[in-house]
Amino acid sequence: MTAYLLNLAQLAAIFGLLAASLNVLVGYGGIFSVAHAVFFGFGAYAGAQIALNVTPDVLLVSAAGGLVAGVLSLALALPALRVRGEYFVVASLGLQMVATTAFTEAEPVTGGLGGLVGIPPPQLLGFSLASPWAFLAVCLAALFGGLAVMRLLMRGSFGRSLMALRDSESAAEAFGKNVALLKTLAVALGCTIAGVAGGLFALQMAFVNVESFTLDQSVLVLAMVIVGGTGTLAGPLVGTLLLLLLPAALSFLPGIPPTEIGAVQQAIYGLAMALLMIFRPAGLAGRAQGKR
Amino acid sequence: MIERRMLLRAGLGAAAGGLALGRARAEAEPYVLGTLFPMAGPNAEYGTIFTEGAQLALTHLAADKLLSRQVVLKAEDSQGTPQGGAVGMSKLVNVDHALYVLIGFTGVSKAAAPIGTRAKVVMVNGGGVGPDLAGLSPYYWNVIPLASAEVSRIAPYLVAKGWKRVALIYMDDPFGNGLRKSMQTDLPKAGGEIAGLFAITPAEQQFSALAAKVRDAKPDVVYFASYGAQQAQIIKQLRDNGIDQQLVTYSGALIPSVRSLPQAEGLIFTVQTAPWSATDPVTRRFLADWQATHKELPSVYHQNYYNAVRLFGLLAHGLEQQGKPVDGDSLRAELLRVRRFALVGGEGTFDDLGDLSVPIDIETLKGGQPVKLD
Repeated sequence: MTAYLLNLAQLAAIFGLLAASLNVLVGYGGIFSVAHAVFFGFGAYAGAQIALNVTPDVLLVSAAGGLVAGVLSLALALPALRVRGEYFVVASLGLQMVATTAFTEAEPVTGGLGGLVGIPPPQLLGFSLASPWAFLAVCLAALFGGLAVMRLLMRGSFGRSLMALRDSESAAEAFGKNVALLKTLAVALGCTIAGVAGGLFALQMAFVNVESFTLDQSVLVLAMVIVGGTGTLAGPLVGTLLLLLLPAALSFLPGIPPTEIGAVQQAIYGLAMALLMIFRPAGLAGRAQGKR
Repeated sequence: MIERRMLLRAGLGAAAGGLALGRARAEAEPYVLGTLFPMAGPNAEYGTIFTEGAQLALTHLAADKLLSRQVVLKAEDSQGTPQGGAVGMSKLVNVDHALYVLIGFTGVSKAAAPIGTRAKVVMVNGGGVGPDLAGLSPYYWNVIPLASAEVSRIAPYLVAKGWKRVALIYMDDPFGNGLRKSMQTDLPKAGGEIAGLFAITPAEQQFSALAAKVRDAKPDVVYFASYGAQQAQIIKQLRDNGIDQQLVTYSGALIPSVRSLPQAEGLIFTVQTAPWSATDPVTRRFLADWQATHKELPSVYHQNYYNAVRLFGLLAHGLEQQGKPVDGDSLRAELLRVRRFALVGGEGTFDDLGDLSVPIDIETLKGGQPVKLD
């Protein structure tokens, strides 16, 4: 049981970091992206290649993941940032579709749909992190480190400018804010952290393929942010715990015939999400509109 | 002093009693078998079929009292994704303590294999046919012929029928690409040629443009390799768009959504020999009990997962007879020691990788039922 819980805790920490990184875009910047799994994927593939060909050192893997995702986010997101609101959602949807195809086709780098297998167990400065406890500690350190950086930035002038942009892009521009620069920095920050999470994900799974970076994954991460509450530090964590752990908890429901287990779990899961959004529209940890 | 002796004796007695109780409890603990199939979403149809075959085998194991312990099945929904597969496998291994897991689908298998290998849990595939599933791990076995074997069987048949120019529609994934490579090797060897290669993706639903391209290639026959509900879409849209050439595929088409499709009438496919006319007692019993419950013939997937569970019963029985523990290592050693087992379809032989070799038939759909051609 302990090993299973540790496995879930590692995934929760990684997805918590991923959801928190999307919160920079959605919650603080008002940039609704449905392509965040793409940058998670860039980080995972970059990290997996480093682990397979250089060293499975968690620092190097995470740094490579963050760097690749951050740089590519600038190249890919800059043209899309010329549009705003629902038009950006559509632009990011296009980016997600293109990236999924690219992941599938770039077989020498990504392994295609077959993916990259045999990623070695993680290390830290030469010490093995094969123990689940040790790797969990690294994941938690990355999570809380990432949250600390976000807290620092969001409480400073960058964060306040970003939130002004979220509340009214025209008003922020009228007050002399450099909208394009703010958006670009928000995207770069969010995607770099997503890339770090991707590197950790590659080490945790020991296998990556395109099926982990599809539109479904992007929507799941967006749901984690919204269900938990946008624009708060705790919101994405609460959303991650709920959306990741609820299916796991439902798998313990006794007495369900094996052939019906998926349908029953999906029905309960969907119903819980719908009820939550009806009764807590600002998310579990979210603040009401007027209190922001 | 007497009191101390009495206390010591009582303590030892209690300890001995506790040990005996613990041993009895351990003996009564059931063998846990796991299933890691997609049980919701577009591939749930496969999960249900796979599970039904395993359930019948469990009923037979219990009825035969082949094993000293009860065998229970724990089901996990893999959601058809690597992440879902890894979480499900972790639960089966660490919480349910499954020592033998039935599995299917390439991505799920690859994500679950490292977890199963670390815990030395045997994983048995009876549904996925991607060529890269061979040798995934010493604990990963296949009880289904992989796609390359099916292509080797159909290529000479197509040429012999005069269908030399083959248009190949294939899934752009390891399974589809493996099948394409086999076709590119086996078809010219048999005297045929590829009229055109058409890659599709798992999410594709519209095949009208594809049909136009296939028509332009002027093939004698159209071979497609997809899976799940998409197969019915391909067949229907090819026919609706005027492709009247013979359609050919592999064993993945043997699912209700394809069999019930009027446009699939006459579809030719390869499939491991369905031994429904075999006279061996294992096959007769499987068939009789299946038909008594379901009022129709089983599919090869039912057969494969029945065989996977039956294989566990035979291996564990052998180990129990030798007084050995039943775990991943001993199951593997027993498989490699015995090699030949009485399964549905006759005697099955396993190779060094743990893959079962079986003969392959060519069949067609008539009124939704498979009919043997060759």
